[in-house]
Amino acid sequence: MAVTRSNESWLSDLRSDGAAREAALAELGKVVQHGLPYALSRWLSPGDPLFMPLVEEVTQETLLRVLDQLDSFEGRSMFTTWVHKIAIRIALTELRRKRWQDSSLDELMDNEESPAPSNLVADHHPTPEAVSERTDMLERVRRILEEELTPKQREALTLLGIQDVPLEEAAKRMKTNRNALYKLLHDARLRLKRRLAMEGLTPQEVLSAFEQK
Amino acid sequence: MSARDFIESIRGKLMRKESLSDEVVDGFLRVLEKVRTEDVTCEEVFEQLDEYVEKEVDGKDAARLMPLLREHLDICSDCSDEYEALLDVIEKSTEK
Repeated sequence: MAVTRSNESWLSDLRSDGAAREAALAELGKVVQHGLPYALSRWLSPGDPLFMPLVEEVTQETLLRVLDQLDSFEGRSMFTTWVHKIAIRIALTELRRKRWQDSSLDELMDNEESPAPSNLVADHHPTPEAVSERTDMLERVRRILEEELTPKQREALTLLGIQDVPLEEAAKRMKTNRNALYKLLHDARLRLKRRLAMEGLTPQEVLSAFEQK
Repeated sequence: MSARDFIESIRGKLMRKESLSDEVVDGFLRVLEKVRTEDVTCEEVFEQLDEYVEKEVDGKDAARLMPLLREHLDICSDCSDEYEALLDVIEKSTEK
């Protein structure tokens, strides 16, 4: 979809009153609607009954947010790229919410209790020595994790490790936000990395012990 | 089931969970390979994502120009999803 407007033209029309603003909003709505099928293509097909209502909802919400945040646009990209970015954040947040709202914590915990695929230990006919080395290493890493992680870090890690719960959804379940949860995990990672280093190990070494045949 | 029973049942399940699964340990180790001391938050990534994607689409070495952002995308699946979606839109929706 060819967009001929400059950033300045978008900004001045959206900041104006009356017909120019309405026309710019209508045009921007079309830009968003044109982009969303590409943005959502990995998650939702246009034939899905959720698709059209989601596109409508996201478009409206995007236009409101764009108007609200117009002053924060710094001109470091094309205006429409900035708008697509906002639409994508809204759409994926909504999609994650819809996708995860029906899976209760109860259900997650039940699944967690089923035996986890032991992809660290089971391999293509490893030698008994390799199996033993991996088991020892796994126990060692598990012990380090258990000693180093705070209860909150552990909760986050467990939640993100099951069923690929997205960060945003895990944050909601933990009554925090995505930024704070990311920081929490980052701190946990750094802490563990330091501890492994103190024990003379690197993550690569640990993983290669798991992977060797 | 009353609210109290429900809370107790969840608490019971959480208490029974004694060790992290192999899968969780493995996933964590894989991310550890990439983690750096310096880091940006999801929000900081979001602020610069449009600029990053345009650089990539223009054939510039965005990963070298904005390395912290690239590293964050390598370990944060939510931000990585948003990056890939934006890349798809900019690359494909502007095709003639």
